[in-house]
Amino acid sequence: MIPIHKDKDGRDKVKKTKGRGNLRFWSLAMSIPELSILIMLITGGYIVMAVFSKVQGTDVLSPLSMWLIIIGSFLLSTAIAIIAVIAGIGGGVIFTPIMLGFTSMDSLVIRATGLVVAMFGGLISSGPFMRARLANLKVVFYCGVPITIGALGGSVCAIYLHDAMGAVGDGIVRLSLGILMLVIAWFLFTGGGKTEYPEPGHIDSLSLRLGLNGSYWEQSLGKVVHYQMVRAFLGGLIFIFLGFVGGFFGMGGGAFLTATLNLIMMAPVKIAAACSGVLLAISDATAIWTYITYGALIAIIGAPWMLGHVVGGILGAHLLIRIRAGFVRKILIFILLISSTKLIARGIEGAFGIDIPVL
Amino acid sequence: MKEDKPKPPLAGLIYGGIIYWGVLGGSLIVITGSVLSFLGDNFVPVSYWLSSIWSGESPSQIWQGATGSLPMGHWYLSHLATGDGLTAMGISLAVFSVVPALFLAAAVLLRERDWLYGSLALICGLIVLTGVLGLIPIG
Repeated sequence: MIPIHKDKDGRDKVKKTKGRGNLRFWSLAMSIPELSILIMLITGGYIVMAVFSKVQGTDVLSPLSMWLIIIGSFLLSTAIAIIAVIAGIGGGVIFTPIMLGFTSMDSLVIRATGLVVAMFGGLISSGPFMRARLANLKVVFYCGVPITIGALGGSVCAIYLHDAMGAVGDGIVRLSLGILMLVIAWFLFTGGGKTEYPEPGHIDSLSLRLGLNGSYWEQSLGKVVHYQMVRAFLGGLIFIFLGFVGGFFGMGGGAFLTATLNLIMMAPVKIAAACSGVLLAISDATAIWTYITYGALIAIIGAPWMLGHVVGGILGAHLLIRIRAGFVRKILIFILLISSTKLIARGIEGAFGIDIPVL
Repeated sequence: MKEDKPKPPLAGLIYGGIIYWGVLGGSLIVITGSVLSFLGDNFVPVSYWLSSIWSGESPSQIWQGATGSLPMGHWYLSHLATGDGLTAMGISLAVFSVVPALFLAAAVLLRERDWLYGSLALICGLIVLTGVLGLIPIG
């Protein structure tokens, strides 16, 4: 329940705060000129599409429902992007399991669109992260090689499995993604044991030779933080696997990328989150071409998801500094638990032909 | 002694800047393409795309019904005057911005005699380019 207090003039305090919040949100959007132009163009475009539409209805969908699918996708994508950026994960982690679990859309189309969703938040935030020195260029290019190799392999395997195994392959994908979602939910629930400023004990010679270190201005401490990363070889191997998972499932597993950089390679949590976003963008930008050239990315459905993530990605990155991430993470865990249950049920039905009527 | 804020490396600024503006440029093309597709100028009708996706058809079934076979390549390049072709081009252009970003960042690093990271950026760019050109056989 929302507590309502009256101020000394008897006015509703909650209303006033909410109004200021909306105003702040709007002024934030307007303070970034390119974002305000983009929002106006998108709004104008969707109005033109509604008023002057020449789309014919079919047995499956009416012209209005087609327009609503586009608008709904854009709004949902914007919301997912904001939540994903604040929670420090890729949007694909929310999009792909929900669509696979609760819609009848083909899994390959969903995974291709999922890559768009997972990628554009990271792509658009690459610029601000590089300017703030939060994304370490050495880490990005060192880990970029194994993650892109893995992503390319994963996307090719996804197409092969889909073509070779049909509905059973789809069931296996849903089942394994459901299990993966449970692991991610557990990671988010426990916080993955993340430490803000990890202190490495032993520094291995490869990490030293690669010079995997850096410094950045920590606003909350008001000073420069220096860090040294370790376990470069092990990290590289894990990134091949994480790239494969992202390319195969159409979701980047940003939670795992951040955890690997923070817990195994000992990067400060802010550096890990920023590098994870940039790496997610590179790996998904590699994997998506397999889906594009195969024809699995249908542009008309991918477009609103891309635009929503560009708008939501910029807004989310700016809101991140003002909002506490804890509540958003709880919502995310709830979404992941629900969708993983549904995914596992549908996966068992598809892969083994067992009917689960309750779910 | 108080330390100054560290400055971002030039290669990082170039990398991030190209992607940021590349994505925004791609978004403008996507908006134009989406509007055109609803106004009727299409390679394949919007109603067909959306209805078949909504019915759960696979990409091969969708393309079979639309053009007779899977595109297996950058189909939109020869249909840039249509709404769906332009929309696909916008998405692809935004994703493609990673390639020049990686190559230019590599060039800057190599010019600064950072051979190791210049080469790694170059390798990353080549791997992404392998995907763009569709050099790995699929399907």
